[in-house]
Amino acid sequence: MEGLLANLLNGLSWGMLLFLISMGLTTIFGVMGVLNFAHGSLFMLGAYLSMQFMRWVGSFWVGLLLGPPIVAGLSVLLERFLLRPLYGRDVSFQLLLTFGVMLFLDDGVRLVWGAAYHVVNPPPILSGAIPFFSQSYPVYRLFIVVLGPLVGIALWAFFAYTRWGKVLRAAAMDRQMAEIVGVRVPAVFTAVFGFGAWLAALGGALAAPHQSVGPAMGERIIIESFIVVVIGGMGSFPGAFAGALILGLLNSFGTTLLPDVQMALPYILLAVILLTRPRGLFGAEA
Amino acid sequence: MKPRLRGEAVPAVLVLAALVAAPFVLSIYGVIVLTEILTMSLFALSFNLLFGYTGLLSFGQAGFFGAGAYFAVLTLIHGPASLWAALAAAVIGAALLAAVIGWFCVRLDEIYFAILTLGFGMMLFTVAHNWRSVTGGSDGLGSFALPELHLFGHSVSLFHPVSFYFLALGIVAFGALLLRRVVGSPFGLLLRGSRENSLRVSFVGADVRTLRLFAFIMAGALAGLAGALFAFYNRIASPEMLHWSFSGKAVLMTILGGSGIFLGPAAGAAIFFVLEHAITAYTTNWMIFLGAILVVLVLAFPKGVLGSLIDRWARRQQGPPP
Amino acid sequence: MRLKILSMGVWEVIMRKKGLVGLLLTGFTLMLAAAGIAADKPVKIGFVYIMSGPFATYGQFAKQGAELAIDEINQAGGVNGSNVEAFFEDSTGKPDVGIRVIRKLVYENGVDVVMGLDSSGVASAVAPVMKELKTPLIITHAATPDVTGTNCNRYTFRVSLNINQNIAMAATIAAEMKAKTWTTAGPDYSFGHQSWEYFQKYLAKKKPEAAFLPAAEVAFSPAATTDFSAYVTKIMNSKADGVLISLWGGNLIDFVRQARDMGFFDGKREILMTLGAATEVLYALKEKMPEGIWVGTRYWFQANDTPLNQAFVDAYLKRFNVYPSYNAHGAYGAVKTYAAAAAKAKSVDKEKIVAALEGLSIELPVGRITIRPEDHQAVTDGVWGRTAADPKMPIRILKPIKSFAGKDITPPVEETGCKLK
Repeated sequence: MEGLLANLLNGLSWGMLLFLISMGLTTIFGVMGVLNFAHGSLFMLGAYLSMQFMRWVGSFWVGLLLGPPIVAGLSVLLERFLLRPLYGRDVSFQLLLTFGVMLFLDDGVRLVWGAAYHVVNPPPILSGAIPFFSQSYPVYRLFIVVLGPLVGIALWAFFAYTRWGKVLRAAAMDRQMAEIVGVRVPAVFTAVFGFGAWLAALGGALAAPHQSVGPAMGERIIIESFIVVVIGGMGSFPGAFAGALILGLLNSFGTTLLPDVQMALPYILLAVILLTRPRGLFGAEA
Repeated sequence: MKPRLRGEAVPAVLVLAALVAAPFVLSIYGVIVLTEILTMSLFALSFNLLFGYTGLLSFGQAGFFGAGAYFAVLTLIHGPASLWAALAAAVIGAALLAAVIGWFCVRLDEIYFAILTLGFGMMLFTVAHNWRSVTGGSDGLGSFALPELHLFGHSVSLFHPVSFYFLALGIVAFGALLLRRVVGSPFGLLLRGSRENSLRVSFVGADVRTLRLFAFIMAGALAGLAGALFAFYNRIASPEMLHWSFSGKAVLMTILGGSGIFLGPAAGAAIFFVLEHAITAYTTNWMIFLGAILVVLVLAFPKGVLGSLIDRWARRQQGPPP
Repeated sequence: MRLKILSMGVWEVIMRKKGLVGLLLTGFTLMLAAAGIAADKPVKIGFVYIMSGPFATYGQFAKQGAELAIDEINQAGGVNGSNVEAFFEDSTGKPDVGIRVIRKLVYENGVDVVMGLDSSGVASAVAPVMKELKTPLIITHAATPDVTGTNCNRYTFRVSLNINQNIAMAATIAAEMKAKTWTTAGPDYSFGHQSWEYFQKYLAKKKPEAAFLPAAEVAFSPAATTDFSAYVTKIMNSKADGVLISLWGGNLIDFVRQARDMGFFDGKREILMTLGAATEVLYALKEKMPEGIWVGTRYWFQANDTPLNQAFVDAYLKRFNVYPSYNAHGAYGAVKTYAAAAAKAKSVDKEKIVAALEGLSIELPVGRITIRPEDHQAVTDGVWGRTAADPKMPIRILKPIKSFAGKDITPPVEETGCKLK
């Protein structure tokens, strides 16, 4: 019983981190049609910056507050000057460009912070563990399990009910029409890209105390978030939530029950979805 | 068809001659690096059959490359100690895998194709990484003896880097020649047609899916051949050879050199390794330069380095526009 | 007689016998010139460690140990009179990269010997290639028994403890523990699997009633894992009351941090950490490393109070501000061993070095080691201990320390499967 619950919590905490980064990826894809290979690197950058702020100021919350906007700012520049010229061209080129950016950033953090792994402590309020049946469970992970859905609901509400949200959805649905009615689509795209990056970096900053911060962080999570987005449906928030949850639980339960195939489970699920329901669980009809 | 081939034959022969002469001019380390360039060129060329000629971006070609490596090494360890048998096993094994996986993948388009190939590639990676009893797990399969090469009744030991280099050159040249014949054939024309406008090609009566499947199998088989060569060269088959980041190398090399020219990917492989060598002499952070270069290339040189150079040269030949 | 003076250290000789030295040096230089060897051609040593990723601090500490040894040797006149030059490469823990960088070291940099290797996977792949390169390899860390066992070859040597020796110690300690059913948490490559395999073998001999969990229930994690919660949960909810942890480096740091918060160290299970006394890990964890855990190591800086060890620890601490880890000692020891072999062979010719290393016995900070000619494995003493807090020290120390003599823990050559001789 404890094992089941512990695995559930493990899966949920990892799943929520995955959800944050996938939300950004799916928004970017939904609105702009760009599959951002560099998204994992933005996540990683968020983690490194939060670690750096902790070193300078000694406060996790400062890092959480300041890190993601910096990454968002960087991404805005990226989109404006590197990505925008490619919008007319083949989709593959956008993928390739973001791939190049990923290589640049992954090695960039190595240059600035070194190739070793770093350990980040959670803030005092959230550190420690609470008793959990006959074992215990870290407070920080519970915090993430609770925070994830809250952020998700907040964003969903934003997209569904505010004017900005409507503008974004309009630009996603029909770019030309949106432009005709006066929406400045290029500006919207830049804003969306920045927003997605902010989400990824937020995920990274939250992930830093959860696991070690190292240069391979981005590479690992980008594939998982691709899978989440595809399984859930590109551009869908509930899809990203469902996909992330599924992947998180596959990870934790798979390790206990199916250790030999656990690594392949996400890919198998990916293949099944792509071949039977390519738009994903919650995706819109193409 | 014919005039173009003749126009291409001269530079191709020159390149081949230079490659044959290279070991006598380079240091042993230079020969070793050149061997790696050749092997990766074959991999990149096979990738480009799909990307440049068929318009399919596959992020899973490393799966076939690595599978070829493992099939070859498994043959040497458990089967006859024959180089040809190992190479054959690699090609046939990789082709079969490509047939099965390709059957699924060619149903999809564009980004979905890319992601699905990535998924299948990673499934193969998992098999190589987890099946310890057969594949040696994450440590890979090493400790095999490289058998002598039996050719026309003679036996040649491949121990010396230069001997191995010539084997690699022979195999890669064969693979490249084969590819060249394919893309220059009517089949190749249909492939390029399906890249431009698959709907129209199907109106003409060609089954696009079958076309793509054949291309996929061929690309997989040649990737497997390159993989076998790579395993021999490195004296090991390891799971990293199937990882999507290894597929990324083929993508990078093709873009660097240019996907529109037949030998573009090979040029890209050479550029890749020369850059790595030059930059790592100063700093270990060479990926940062590669990433920057890739970004610049995608933005400024849509046809890759070689492609753009040739374009510029061709335009100069034509003279100013009317 | 001339060579005996040289091995005493040029400085001491100059101080004592100035006239004689002048004559000897002239004669020596003429002799070298006659032999066609430039006296200032450096001796080149190639080092291959993991310099990036979760195990990067291991590579960093090893580099420090190597540099300390090389500076000491160069200050004392170098190896056979020549300066020593070091080349460091990153294996990234991958076998094919390891082969690649070693080829580069041998062909491009022209090294006379290769030392290092953190990963057993890399070591297994690289050892056979040394035969082709005809260059000696001195392993300082990688512990797979195969490279001095079933896959041994003439060019591969090891100066550090291997799995056989370390697990023999672990099994001895485990036999006295009350745990009845054992499981393992290890990295999913040869080191983790072989540690577990040998543990089962040795413990079964000492305590026949011990039980071991089947393969599907143990916890092997890929080397790139940073989130161990699923593995911690798996072990905590299994039937095992004893855990052999062969995770090391960054993996062990993450595991201990995460496991601690989940109540893993609540005393319900006996724990053995085969590489827990690595200062890389202890410095990273500080007080997060629980007390009272039995941990192993290849070298512990407080285990030996010989003047040689004291000098080494002091010099290392002074220069790098941290106590030397076993990886640092491994590199340091290998360089000193090589220098001794070169002195014995009077040359750095690769074949002569191979011959000189066989049977070589040398005093290192860890104690006296002897390299067996039959399998090229060093017979060296080993140390395990229980973690304890010490207010004067920045990291956990070992108290009590349990030392094992090399001859008690090293299996006889017939058992290793090595057929060199």
